[in-house]
Amino acid sequence: MSFGAPYFTLPEFTYHKPKTLKEALELLDTYRDEAKVMAGGVGLVAFMKERLMSPSHVIDIKEIPELKRVEYREGAGLKIGAAVTLSELENNEIIKKKYTALYQAIKKAADPIIRNRATLVGNICEALPWVDGPIPLIAYNAKVEVMSLNDVRLIPVSDFIKGPVEIDLAPNEIATFIHVPDPPPESKSTFLKFNTGSEFALATMAAHVVGSVKPKEVYLVYGAVSTKPVRASEAERIILTSENIKEAIVEAATKASQEIDVVSDVLASEDYRRHLIKVLTINALKSIFEVS
Amino acid sequence: MGRLITLTVNGIRRSVEVKDNELLLDVLRDKLKVKSVKAACWRGECGLCTVILNGKLVKSCLVLAVEVDGSEILTVEGLAKDGELAPIQKAFIQHGALQCGFCTPAFVLASHKLLEENPTPSEDEIKERLSGLICRCGTYYEIIEAIKDASKYYQLGRKPR
Repeated sequence: MSFGAPYFTLPEFTYHKPKTLKEALELLDTYRDEAKVMAGGVGLVAFMKERLMSPSHVIDIKEIPELKRVEYREGAGLKIGAAVTLSELENNEIIKKKYTALYQAIKKAADPIIRNRATLVGNICEALPWVDGPIPLIAYNAKVEVMSLNDVRLIPVSDFIKGPVEIDLAPNEIATFIHVPDPPPESKSTFLKFNTGSEFALATMAAHVVGSVKPKEVYLVYGAVSTKPVRASEAERIILTSENIKEAIVEAATKASQEIDVVSDVLASEDYRRHLIKVLTINALKSIFEVS
Repeated sequence: MGRLITLTVNGIRRSVEVKDNELLLDVLRDKLKVKSVKAACWRGECGLCTVILNGKLVKSCLVLAVEVDGSEILTVEGLAKDGELAPIQKAFIQHGALQCGFCTPAFVLASHKLLEENPTPSEDEIKERLSGLICRCGTYYEIIEAIKDASKYYQLGRKPR
């Protein structure tokens, strides 16, 4: 060690690099609580340095072939493996074309060098309030596929994330894939992020509207404002039942800024975050409905 | 207890014994004596430990050494060919794109990679692509000028004088 400061070293662990998913699941089933699964490692290595996690075993799933794939089927949507990096997703033509909010969120996530290692599944498993990945995923109604040796579960991303660093994952389970439904042709989405240059956003939001003339489905999802991603369901209803979209946008934005549970911290006060929610909502919906 | 890993660093195959919990950053600096890779924040924020791992820029403070067994690593020491500096290195010198020089290896490496992939980046693209690196002296203006200047050599695959 260069400086000998404990903060900079990692706790001792045994490293495993399984070649197949089955092998990874077997390892995890053996070590359970003592093990942590690693894909890009961006989150886990940082957590280990801070001793927030001190696993005795690290299971690296980076080289498992099926987890390195992104598949798209019309009607079924996207299936993203746990070892796919954000850079790979950023260069995916389908995501760029059909999943605007997801594409914009990835482009704004961390920085381009971190994105060469960080994964979208890791983003969700990290479950930190200011992380960008889950926000558009919830707006698309995406699900996480979770596997153990003898079971497979599909959980909506919105239920999977229970709180900061708290996820619906048993010690013998691996989050293997994200399934993102195919957005209907008349659907539009956008992602907005407000930060002041630091890595921590003060507020983010994804808006996804199916049917831009007469909305059939509306998703307004907010990140970095609460302890986990939140939807503004009353504001969504205002858009769904609106007669005059221009007026409804302002009304919905005001409602969203009131109905969400907002935290106050060193980065921003509760009032300021409520203000940001309103501004982001107006901007997002104006761009989706193309009104000025 | 250690494992023997083999990696190619700047074209030279090297074997080194590492522990499972050692970072690539520490192995490069302390065991392989590649000192252009700087240790500063150790948490992926400053980007000064950036290396090119199998053709991709990565921050080596977030990479385990055991992971990269069999990989190829390029650092700024590997940019010069036959004793001649790469165009981007010359451009950094010409534009004085540094002050204390601590961040320079990382910025040179990231700029080189950027120009290899896109020889004609816009200013916004340059800023975006380098956004993971921090220069505490604030020589960003000169760095951007150096990249724009070096751009012509990467477009033509030509060597600067």
